[in-house]
Amino acid sequence: MVMNFLQALCFNPLFLEVTRSTGENTRYRLISLGLIALVLIGISLMSKVERALIGNRLGALAMLAAVVLTLYYYGIFSVSLLWVGLLLGGFLGLVLARKVQMIQMPQMVGLLNGFGGLASMLAGILTLMGYSLNPSGMAMDTTFATITGGLAVVVGGLTWTGSAVAAGKLHRIIDQKPKVYPGHQVWTSMSLLLALLSALLLTLPTFASGTGRTLLILLAVIFGNLFGYFLAIRVGGADMPITISLLNSFSGVAGAIAGMAVADILLVAVGGIVGASGLILTQIMCKAMNRQLLDILVGKSSAPTAAKQVSASAKQAPASGPASISPAQEGTDSNTQAQEQELAPEPEQEARQESGQKAEAEPEELAGPQLLGRWLEEAQTIIIVPGYGMALAQAQVQIKQLADQLEAAGKQVDFAIHPVAGRMPGHMNVLLAEVDIPYDKLHEMAEINDQFKTTDLCLVVGANDVINPAANTAEGTPIYGMPVLDVGDAKHIVICNYDLQPGYAGVPNPLYEEAEAQTDHVVLLLGDAKESLKGLQTGYTQAQKGSDQGAPADGSQMANSDSGQASSGQSPSPAAGPDLAANWLDEAHKVIIVPGYGMALAQAQAQIKQLTDQLEAAGKQVDFAIHPVAGRMPGHMNVLLAEVDIPYDKLHEMAEINDQFKTTDLCLVVGANDVINPAANTAEGTPIYGMPVLDVGDAKHVVICNFDLQPGYAGVPNPLYEEAQAESGHVILLLGDAKQSLADLLAKL
Amino acid sequence: MHWSLLIIIFIVSTLLGYKIINRVPSLLHTPLMSGMNAFSGVTLLACLSATAAAVATGGILGTILGFLAIVLATINVVAGFGVTDRMLKMFHNKKGKE
Repeated sequence: MVMNFLQALCFNPLFLEVTRSTGENTRYRLISLGLIALVLIGISLMSKVERALIGNRLGALAMLAAVVLTLYYYGIFSVSLLWVGLLLGGFLGLVLARKVQMIQMPQMVGLLNGFGGLASMLAGILTLMGYSLNPSGMAMDTTFATITGGLAVVVGGLTWTGSAVAAGKLHRIIDQKPKVYPGHQVWTSMSLLLALLSALLLTLPTFASGTGRTLLILLAVIFGNLFGYFLAIRVGGADMPITISLLNSFSGVAGAIAGMAVADILLVAVGGIVGASGLILTQIMCKAMNRQLLDILVGKSSAPTAAKQVSASAKQAPASGPASISPAQEGTDSNTQAQEQELAPEPEQEARQESGQKAEAEPEELAGPQLLGRWLEEAQTIIIVPGYGMALAQAQVQIKQLADQLEAAGKQVDFAIHPVAGRMPGHMNVLLAEVDIPYDKLHEMAEINDQFKTTDLCLVVGANDVINPAANTAEGTPIYGMPVLDVGDAKHIVICNYDLQPGYAGVPNPLYEEAEAQTDHVVLLLGDAKESLKGLQTGYTQAQKGSDQGAPADGSQMANSDSGQASSGQSPSPAAGPDLAANWLDEAHKVIIVPGYGMALAQAQAQIKQLTDQLEAAGKQVDFAIHPVAGRMPGHMNVLLAEVDIPYDKLHEMAEINDQFKTTDLCLVVGANDVINPAANTAEGTPIYGMPVLDVGDAKHVVICNFDLQPGYAGVPNPLYEEAQAESGHVILLLGDAKQSLADLLAKL
Repeated sequence: MHWSLLIIIFIVSTLLGYKIINRVPSLLHTPLMSGMNAFSGVTLLACLSATAAAVATGGILGTILGFLAIVLATINVVAGFGVTDRMLKMFHNKKGKE
């Protein structure tokens, strides 16, 4: 290895020269071209399923060869630090690749994308700092290297933060709702402009070295990253396929630009290929969703549908049920989990105390949850006050279930949202919208504060300072004068709180004292709010049972909801639903199954596989229709179905299978919504108008497994649902968790 | 190397890639994306040479940043190809069974 460094200074526009003969340079270029060809061959092999695996391995091999070639050509084989980095990264990469679950693939791809972008950004920084090996005979244009270095920093940086935000949203660490800051558009444009400006200014001789240069590099980093953040944070969960594809493209472009900065043809070419791939996927996704890329980037059309987007992404969230998948909890908040485990016994304990206390007041002995259940049963008007504690305990799903249950019994349930409840403006609204609580039930303080007086029961979940009546009276305390929700005016108050500590402001809450004094007005349920709410649900169910012996079936169904699986309140589907569907299946000869993201959330693939096997064993023909944007990334459904061993030749693209619905006896839709909405053909002016959809309505019978009756992401009502409700004999809706619905169906066959 | 050559390489490879990738069926779009993701870690090549330069010149900050970049890019490459392999095997196995 010949190493010959001419200059050894940092922060001077220097390129360390490596002596290379013309022959060596030519050979290097030829080998590089060969490797590029190998990469292209590998990718083209991916156009056939049978050879895709080989194609991918060929690509990996080409990459390995590229690394070896680079180490050899620059004469840096012996730099041990490089090996340490390669081995460490390789090890971590292998572990990640092994451990990731298929369901987590979208966020995995997002995260890896981000890593690539970050690496490109760092490579750009190093180039700008003057760390560059420049083989003789390959002399570089300094200005070009500087421009491209700066651009690599910007594009790499935006890829990193954009991908990190996207991955966070997909993993539910970050709220899936599109978040729009005041002046968002201005910030977005400004950050991009400033980032590019910083990159351009670097080429001026004034900034060739010194603090000015350092500052500009920093500015390019900051604004590039900010731009990525602003770009991704305003994209809603269901728009993720587009965002992920676009970021994929960016990561390639970032690599290519970094390659230009260091004059590496291999890098430039492969980066360009990746950029093209991401662009193709982005185009396909946009077309399939009937969205303009620019609209999503500037958040144009997400504005009117913003609220709907929440419900769309959230609608399916509870479908999974706390029991099956809760990706958010896995990685995010081990704290909360620990809390839960630690505190699970506490609410019971509290409940027992409660029952002891109440035994004196009440003639019949009522256990705590039972007493509360009776309060709930007796109440006609209920206001729920959520606070940050609800968010911490992730108790939204339980709140939704309880609210549904209460509403099903004809009670009026409203929500009172204090302006500063939570950790950011509108925090509670977002969380509740995510679990599909209609936003017309969420009331601002000014709007609802008078109504507490006429309310039978107020349920406070993890709110503290914002309901503290001391704010009206305790002069000199930090909260004095702060407007609070007058929950004390309600007939009964149930407060779910983690502990008896005063809130953030540190002012004791008189309501807590009242609860401890065992009045019949306030009850405190200490411990994890999720657990407390579950207890409350049980209590209510029992109270309902007690007062209404005539509906035991209903009661037992309610009791199920404890497990978090059944969608208690919202299963008005007639008991005949599964029976009729089973009959239809029995009679059908040709069946098409349409999977959607709801299937992924409910992890219902295994049931689908069982059903398919059973139907095929009976001699029926079963096919799958895959809409291009079903799921959260391109090809999402295919991967999930392949995982449960459904042969890929049964998975058909939309264009291929759409004509066949006419001749199909039964179409089973599992968790798909917008992509089967016939309104796309007719409802002009709606966001989905003109979007290509699967013509499931053409099938003789249609069975739709969906979590609820909410319209999909686009917020356009589905005529098929109306047909089902009209009991036309054409469409049946099986509401609730898809896994459960399919299991029921299987049992009936 | 003249800069225009690099630009030309970029454009040509982008067009070639566009043409080839357009043929990949939507069935394989997820593996395609994760595979492309792995390729985007090719930036590792730039990280390697730049880090070597930083090591040679004794720049502490450069060495640290470069090391970080190598680790990240390698994770990108290895995990990217790894998960793609896993996914494609799922498709592949089905063929064997039939």
